[in-house]
Amino acid sequence: MIKLKTVRFSLSILLFSLIVNFSSAFAQASAEQGEKIFKQNCTSCHSIGTTKVVGPGLKDVMKRVPSEEWLKTWIKNSSAVIKSGDAYAKKIYEENNKAAMSSFDNLKDDQLASLIEYIKNPPAPKQAATATGGAAGTSSAASNEDGIWNYVLLALAAIFIILIVVLGGIKETLARLVRERDGLPEPVKLATVPAAKHWMRTHKKHMAVIILFLVSWGSRAAWNGMMDLGVYTGYKPEQPIKFSHKIHAGQNAINCVYCHSGVEKSKVANVPSANVCMNCHKYIQEGPNTGKTEIAKIYAALDYNPTTQVYGPNQKPIKWVRVHTLPDIVYFNHSQHVVVGKIECTKCHGPVAEMDTIRQYSPLTMGWCVNCHRETEVQMAGNPYYDKLHAKLASEHKGEKITVDKMGGIECGKCHY
Amino acid sequence: MGTTKKYWKGLEDLNNDPAFIKSAQSEFAEEIPMEQFLSNDSLEETSTPRRDFLKFLGFSVTAASLAACQTPVSRVIPYVIKPEEITVGVSNWYATAFYDGHDFCNVLVKTREGRPIKIEGNKLSSITQGGTNSRVQASVLSLYDNERANGPKEKGAPTTWEDADKKIIAQLDSIAAAGGAIALLSSSIISPSTQQIITDFSAKYKNVKHVTYDAVSYSGIIEANKQSFAKAVVPVYNFENAKVIVSFACDFLTNWVSPIETARQYAKNRKVSDENKTMSKHYQFESNLSLTGSNADERIGIKPSQMGAALISLYNKVSGSSLSTKQLEFDSHITAAAKELVAAKGKSLVVCGSNDPAIQLIVNAINNTLGNYGATIDIDNANRTHQGNDADVMALAADMKAGKIGALLMYNVNPVYSLPASLGFEEGMKKTALTVSFNDREDETGSLATFLLPDHHYLESWGDAMPRNGVYSLIQPTIFPIFNTRSAQESLMKWTGIAGDYQAYVKANWEKNIFPMQTSEVLFENNWMKSLHDGGIEFSMTPAVAPTFAGDAAAAAALIMQSAAKAGSFEITLYEKTPIGNGNQANNPWLQEVPDPVSKVVWDNYITMSPKQMKELGFETFQEQRAMADVVEVTVNGVTLRAPVFPQPGQVYGTVGLALGYGRTKAGKCGNIGSNAYSFVGNTNGTLSYTSFDAKIGASVDKYSLASTQTHHTLMGRNMVKEASLAEYIKDSKAGNEREMFKVKEGHEHIEKSAEELDLWATKDYPKQPTTDLKWSMSIDLNSCIGCGNCVVSCSAENNVPVVGKDQVSKTREMHWIRIDRYYTSDMTKAKAAEEGKGKIDMFTAMEIPSDNPKVVFQPVMCQHCDHAPCETVCPVLATTHSSEGLNQMTYNRCLGTKYCANNCPYKVRRFNWYRYTNDKDFDFNLTNDLGRMVLNPDVSVRSRGVMEKCSMCVQRIQEGKLAAKKDGRRINDGEIQTACAQSCPTNAIVFGNIFDENSQVAKNSKDERMYHMLEEIDVQPSIFYLTKIRNTEEKEA
Repeated sequence: MIKLKTVRFSLSILLFSLIVNFSSAFAQASAEQGEKIFKQNCTSCHSIGTTKVVGPGLKDVMKRVPSEEWLKTWIKNSSAVIKSGDAYAKKIYEENNKAAMSSFDNLKDDQLASLIEYIKNPPAPKQAATATGGAAGTSSAASNEDGIWNYVLLALAAIFIILIVVLGGIKETLARLVRERDGLPEPVKLATVPAAKHWMRTHKKHMAVIILFLVSWGSRAAWNGMMDLGVYTGYKPEQPIKFSHKIHAGQNAINCVYCHSGVEKSKVANVPSANVCMNCHKYIQEGPNTGKTEIAKIYAALDYNPTTQVYGPNQKPIKWVRVHTLPDIVYFNHSQHVVVGKIECTKCHGPVAEMDTIRQYSPLTMGWCVNCHRETEVQMAGNPYYDKLHAKLASEHKGEKITVDKMGGIECGKCHY
Repeated sequence: MGTTKKYWKGLEDLNNDPAFIKSAQSEFAEEIPMEQFLSNDSLEETSTPRRDFLKFLGFSVTAASLAACQTPVSRVIPYVIKPEEITVGVSNWYATAFYDGHDFCNVLVKTREGRPIKIEGNKLSSITQGGTNSRVQASVLSLYDNERANGPKEKGAPTTWEDADKKIIAQLDSIAAAGGAIALLSSSIISPSTQQIITDFSAKYKNVKHVTYDAVSYSGIIEANKQSFAKAVVPVYNFENAKVIVSFACDFLTNWVSPIETARQYAKNRKVSDENKTMSKHYQFESNLSLTGSNADERIGIKPSQMGAALISLYNKVSGSSLSTKQLEFDSHITAAAKELVAAKGKSLVVCGSNDPAIQLIVNAINNTLGNYGATIDIDNANRTHQGNDADVMALAADMKAGKIGALLMYNVNPVYSLPASLGFEEGMKKTALTVSFNDREDETGSLATFLLPDHHYLESWGDAMPRNGVYSLIQPTIFPIFNTRSAQESLMKWTGIAGDYQAYVKANWEKNIFPMQTSEVLFENNWMKSLHDGGIEFSMTPAVAPTFAGDAAAAAALIMQSAAKAGSFEITLYEKTPIGNGNQANNPWLQEVPDPVSKVVWDNYITMSPKQMKELGFETFQEQRAMADVVEVTVNGVTLRAPVFPQPGQVYGTVGLALGYGRTKAGKCGNIGSNAYSFVGNTNGTLSYTSFDAKIGASVDKYSLASTQTHHTLMGRNMVKEASLAEYIKDSKAGNEREMFKVKEGHEHIEKSAEELDLWATKDYPKQPTTDLKWSMSIDLNSCIGCGNCVVSCSAENNVPVVGKDQVSKTREMHWIRIDRYYTSDMTKAKAAEEGKGKIDMFTAMEIPSDNPKVVFQPVMCQHCDHAPCETVCPVLATTHSSEGLNQMTYNRCLGTKYCANNCPYKVRRFNWYRYTNDKDFDFNLTNDLGRMVLNPDVSVRSRGVMEKCSMCVQRIQEGKLAAKKDGRRINDGEIQTACAQSCPTNAIVFGNIFDENSQVAKNSKDERMYHMLEEIDVQPSIFYLTKIRNTEEKEA
């Protein structure tokens, strides 16, 4: 009976909590939609805090406006409200240098409601700790996994060492017992080094195997070392600004070409100039992690004053550390690969959207280039440039796919001139 | 059976000297002081004993390898605010105009990341139509000259613009107030805005005299036209309409009036094909062998003193009058020329390079009689690029000496260098209270002026130009000013009190004066942007009409005969070299390194003399590398100069030549070479004269080494250049282009086979290249090539070809990827030798000697991109390979410098990097300083020491053009991809394209009957082919 009561009680608690959770989840969902609408439409002129961007900051806006209904009409068509002679509307218009707010009559009522919901209760800025925790989550998990295996190996090694020591002890004890039983004298104890030398002399075959192993292992290591000279796969230098591709390309899903605008036009993809950063960071002045200090570095480079919103005269370029470098003797053209070859950025640059600090993903060696040219089929379909060439090569290489090397893509003069 | 002969080393050996025997048995003849070395006590005291040394060695190897393993940190620094029009890695092109007081050219400037790196012609220009010349091509390097003045200077000390302005305005005001004269000495002003500013300046300061001065003067033509037609201008010549051209010492193809335009027009009438077998006839009467004379159908050697008489004689024959002249030994040629001229009335042209107004008046009279005015000469639409007035200049110099001038402003002139010392300009400058020079450096004039206010380089400035009626060009900056310079116009504006900058002034002037003339654009801003984009705007010129000739030919003839009577033992003609011109760009290493097209000498000027006369006078005529030339003293008009003597075939006996533009003293490290021929300039009939009938040549006083890029001057019976006369060509399109056949024994029979049938490579291993749908090929029409050398500079600029200097050139180590071979004909031919029964050795010895008045051929030679390339088969490391598009590729990072390829190349077009020209202090040209390196093309590797290089057929342009087509999804258009040499050729002699594209021009040219490959007997199947040279003569060509 008692048991049943407790079960009921706990069930009701469960139910209650579920309902509460659900309703709060609903409010959450609505605010999330609001946030999305806000970011799409409003951030270019309004901040959610107190800072003025173009229009006023929206903190406590509900306390200032006459009513929620007023705000909705204002958002939908502000100039109509001003024309109607509304006193507060006129005041706002005057206060903001008579810059009229764009009308958003495309917003539906439920969208407006969720937008206002968001403005009313903007989520508190995420704690830096949780955010970094989230960001570092996958990598720490990965390193944990590696760690476990290391521990397992260490433990195994320890067990083996203990085993060897114990077995050695047993062997020694047994030998002593035999000696005592047979009344043999104590053998002469050699120091460690002479003992090793003695062992080497008496076990020549073992030594030969060991030396052979060491020599081959050594030369292999040397060979690999030499082949890796000048190859910097995994090179991940610290940058002057802790720019995170993970946040920009990953979480915010900004297209690579937005910043690396040269990639479809030029041989270089372009590290974006600071004014490109400002397209967003004029409004986004704080980031979740170290954003505030890092975004301030962009402002410093441009000598930008967030209050007056003008660039100053003391501009200093940002000296990024170059990650992907090809020797001067190599001509490489991004636009050729991206536009004509239709190669995805990630094919060479790896999962950039998951990298906090950018690192070199591919070896960028000539062998790597040539291999890809041998394997990659030329995107000839639908490009009249290749019409004649395709006919010629197709008859020459019947049934094979036409890879880059078949049209001379691995000739010296294609990249070295 | 072994030989019983015994050779002994010396008497000691023969005598079996015991000491000798002992020493012969030991390895070293000298005894090695080993004991002494080992007993040296100081060895033990040394601070690094052997063990330590080994330790250090071990440590340093480890340290070095550890250091090598570290990633080198390189930075990538983007723009802070990127200009919208710049995409890093993509070139921007700007249209502007080049005018330096000598050449005018509409150009396109290629800039990369804000740096101008290459000049190309602007095809939209009606004057130059996409052509350039070497001086225009090289002007981009003059921008990066680190010897330009880096700011305003007062008496050699740096000053500020404000300070200079204040002082100059104060002084000008006081001079004006006192009624003193202010002189403005400038080169010809073709800019309407500048002209307006000068007018305003003159209005403000009242007593202002604007004197126009061209370093190389055309005053004679202007004065003659004033007398003949009351029009004091240089007319526009139209060589395109001229079927017969008779030129008297006029180097119109590369230096005279408007050479880029003239070269194109001239070559247009020289292009023959199977359909059109007509070409113009060109007579050249001259003493120096000029480039124009080298291209002439008939070249007749005359002395400068005979020129007047020859022209009078020609006038008599053309017009039927009988002015007094003297009997000339070449009268038959004048008769022939007169006959052809009369037959082509209205379609002929007589031009003369003299600056004597009397001579030019006779020329006018001849052209007038022939009805050429309004047809081939347009005097109504003046050529405004040369307006200099020598009489004014001489009067100014006299006034200055007399202390009559209060202030002298000098814009774009260097009179201290380019006026003869006899005029006393330097002395006059000292007597002038205020002298201001706007020159770009502390040169001969700039260093003497009170104020040096350096002007921008034209690539840094705004401006406009009106080279002739109806043609308006805009000059726009392509780079921010490198030094603290200011445009001369802006200075004048400040002093006149005109507000604003020169850019705004030019624009306002355009809006006021040029915009209303056009009707296509309604809004000014649109017209302005379009004009900037196109480089300018052109309106139809007023049609030329035949003017009435009012000159007094008889009086002129009398004057000529009077002055020619004074002829002495030697006569001298001062001439301009094609690369250096009047010498204003003398500090440009590209120009100094381009060989003179005729003599092939670099980095010098010299006395050109007939080899025959040199032998008589005992001068060295052996033209081998590093052979020392004799230096002589030459005296003209009381001035003595020293110059080496160079044997120039074609130089008329009894005459010599000396190039202007050298002998600069303050041009900079590259320009201060040679002797200043301007000091020989005289005064004939009131104008500056570049010839003298009385020059004295002394005996050899010194030896001097001249460097030239070609030491064998005749073809010696070989057929690298094929040529035929027009008469032969009309009969047979294949004339002069017979295929060489080889006799081979097949079975028991001797049969003839072509080289192709005997192919060494004709196996399956060497398939007919290439395998793709592209084969890059080039045709070079020897009939259009005038040999000017523009392509050489263009190639150097495009491909980062280093300048190596005179010393290296004399060691045959020049680096130019393209050269222009120049061959003279010899009196000896195979036929003649057979006739005279000469042996082979005698024949070849005689063949080495060029004729006294040789015919000349030019042949541009670059890598021939052979399909069966001999270089490729000998490279041990596969650094030179063949591409699937027919290119012979050179991979610098593979090359280890065996030079086998250069050895095996039949065309000798491969160049080896003997030094690291980019940072070796012995090669202190543009590549050793940061500013000079700005001109480098970032798409082409800068080669390091120890690697071979050669023409790549501008593979970077091919790749760029292919990529553009691929991105657009279309076929490559013919003419879209151009090599640097083909693009800038003013005569379109070089045509580049894909020979697999049947509609391409190069494919069409390859089917011409005149097509041949150089050295086809070795059958290396080059991708480059030539078209036979045709000369408009009746006789049989070699």
